[in-house]
Amino acid sequence: MVNLLRLPGARFLSHLAIVFVIWAALMRINDGIDPLMSYYLALAAMYATAMFGMVILVGLSGQVSLGNGALMAIGGYVFALTSLNWQTVPILGWQWNPIWSMIFAGFGGIAVGLIIGWIGARLRGPYLAGLTLGIAVGIPAIATRFPEIFGGETGLMLTVPYPTGGYAPTVELAPIDEAPLDEVPLEQAPLEQAPLEQAPLDTETAGAGDMLTADNFPSAESSPAAGDMLTADNFPSAESAPSVSALPSDVALPTDIDPIAGGDALLAGGAFVLERWQASLAVTAACIIGFLALNLVRGRQGRVWRAVRDDEVAAAVSGISPAGSKISAFVVSSFFAAIAGAVFAQIISYVGPGAFGLGLSLSLLVGVVLGGRASLGGAIIGGVLLVALPQLVFNIAGDRGWPANVTDNAPNLVYGLLVVLVVLIAPGGILGSLKDGTRRLLAKSRSAK
Amino acid sequence: MTTFIDYVLGGLGSGAIIALMALALVLIWRSTRVVNFAQVGQAMFTTFIALSIQTWTGSWYIALIGALAAGAVLGVIVQYLVLRPVKRNDTSGAIIATFGVLIALQAAAGMIWPGGSQAFPQPFNNSGIEFAGRVWPISIYDFVVIGITALLVLGLTLLFTKTSLGLSMRAAAFNPEVAKLSGVRVSRVLTFGWALAGSVGAVAGILVAPVSTISPNSFDILLVYAFTVAVIGGLDSLIGAISIGVFTGLIISLVSGYSDSGNAPVVALLLLALNLILKPEGIFSHHKARSV
Repeated sequence: MVNLLRLPGARFLSHLAIVFVIWAALMRINDGIDPLMSYYLALAAMYATAMFGMVILVGLSGQVSLGNGALMAIGGYVFALTSLNWQTVPILGWQWNPIWSMIFAGFGGIAVGLIIGWIGARLRGPYLAGLTLGIAVGIPAIATRFPEIFGGETGLMLTVPYPTGGYAPTVELAPIDEAPLDEVPLEQAPLEQAPLEQAPLDTETAGAGDMLTADNFPSAESSPAAGDMLTADNFPSAESAPSVSALPSDVALPTDIDPIAGGDALLAGGAFVLERWQASLAVTAACIIGFLALNLVRGRQGRVWRAVRDDEVAAAVSGISPAGSKISAFVVSSFFAAIAGAVFAQIISYVGPGAFGLGLSLSLLVGVVLGGRASLGGAIIGGVLLVALPQLVFNIAGDRGWPANVTDNAPNLVYGLLVVLVVLIAPGGILGSLKDGTRRLLAKSRSAK
Repeated sequence: MTTFIDYVLGGLGSGAIIALMALALVLIWRSTRVVNFAQVGQAMFTTFIALSIQTWTGSWYIALIGALAAGAVLGVIVQYLVLRPVKRNDTSGAIIATFGVLIALQAAAGMIWPGGSQAFPQPFNNSGIEFAGRVWPISIYDFVVIGITALLVLGLTLLFTKTSLGLSMRAAAFNPEVAKLSGVRVSRVLTFGWALAGSVGAVAGILVAPVSTISPNSFDILLVYAFTVAVIGGLDSLIGAISIGVFTGLIISLVSGYSDSGNAPVVALLLLALNLILKPEGIFSHHKARSV
């Protein structure tokens, strides 16, 4: 019998199928959950996008990077600057479109990845960690240095363009414009998991698949501001988007995302539409990047990275250039990080040095180590962890009635201790331990027979 | 020209502090081949302890001694609980683990000492000295900082060159197997190295606190400077850490003076990148950092 997986292109097609199924499932889930959960989904997908690059860089190619948060800053700033300043594509003269900004952000990431990879590929362990640490601190400092271009400490605000129609709620919002904002009935405010009763919210939505095609993705300047979407001057504070207080602050570990602020943004009007759009954008980007990563990791390049990580000399003898392999890992992870940064900029409608600080870089490392640095699934687990763990710890600490300073710091303490424990006890992370566990169980059941 | 001299003098104190922190990194690298990225976290923690002691007893000297002791204890704890169990060939793991310690220490400090940035009382007069008809940008406190740094460097040099403990430390760092065969208790010597480095870092922390403020994250930038200095100096060399540390303090002071203090981290990054491109093994080292 012909082994179907051996046919040319079969692996490519199987990867495509896997990613498509995941994408379709997540888009379906996104339609069914309340907006706050959509916001978390968007963040988790964005973290996963960046951590696909971390898996390749740290796990496969064995180079510890603390600077990927700064590489995300490159993507975010390129996205913000191009979409704020350019009306048409240079030279070609085409109408501007956020997709162009994403593409330019990716190119920016590749360019910076080449430079850092060129310096970093020749360095080992601590030297590389130190260089990337310098980058994590230095690049946001550059943004602060040139306020006239990058907006300084305050950063740049973005009006995130998103398609009209699509996700606009149909009926439910009508009563809100009468009621004063703070008296909006509580069941409408999706605090935590409370699912919305109003199911019709997510029906009548445009096919999610059309979402990113160029023609219904309005260009930056033609698209209405987020609030206008709801046809309403009658919406009081129409400036939607997660409020600024939801931004990761200096220590941008994602613990700082304040569920209450998210709730406020939801009440503020257009956010019902916005969060779901953000999640579909982030999920789509994560799936495209994940598909690229899957093909790289399971293909020839993945073997090259692993070979160089395990034994540079042996790899060189087999005709692989160790330096080239390391640089390519940097370029790929930098490209992924830049795309994630562009998505991040759209999720928080903002780019600034505080959002892309050392904390973000560290949390990417934490996430990928906890999830499992050896495979792409670890990045997905890491993305979910970075969003869910702080909430979980917050809730536990909050239930106990601990004072604010303890509650606020509890997630980071858990992160730090978990990282140490994982390195000591389960270097493969959660995914690696699960794999080991199932393998042991299988072996046991086999020997029992 | 007088402004130039002013900036140079103003940079001496901060240079000495950066040098001390780099020295702590170098001490650990020499003994265990690990860059302890948690060093500034440990220093921050011990400085908070020192602050508590100082508010309790009112004496800066007792606080200093307390910080020294706490630094040594914390160094031993980190080495025993975290670094020793890490597998020997897992360099990525060791680096990541030290960052885990850093994150945990910062969170713990935020829990124990709430309230964000706190001022550390000035133990000595920190305003410029008046001499020969003008005010110089160097204070009594700067002299204390420089003096303590010099004393520490002198003490460490004597320890490494004149004592048998120093000899066994050098032997354990140079070749642990042979040292063990020659009767050196390598693991005990390594632990002593971590305690020593913890104390040196604690001194750097308590010295820098009065001129800045202290909060769980306030030493992050010091980590970047100290690492830059340690790498440029060669990671192996005490002399390198000290001289490059003071030099970097001067550069930072000059850059901040002539342009803007926001440029200092960028300049440090440029220095680091330049060094890693041209001479990655560092100026004072014979070891090889570049492998390809």
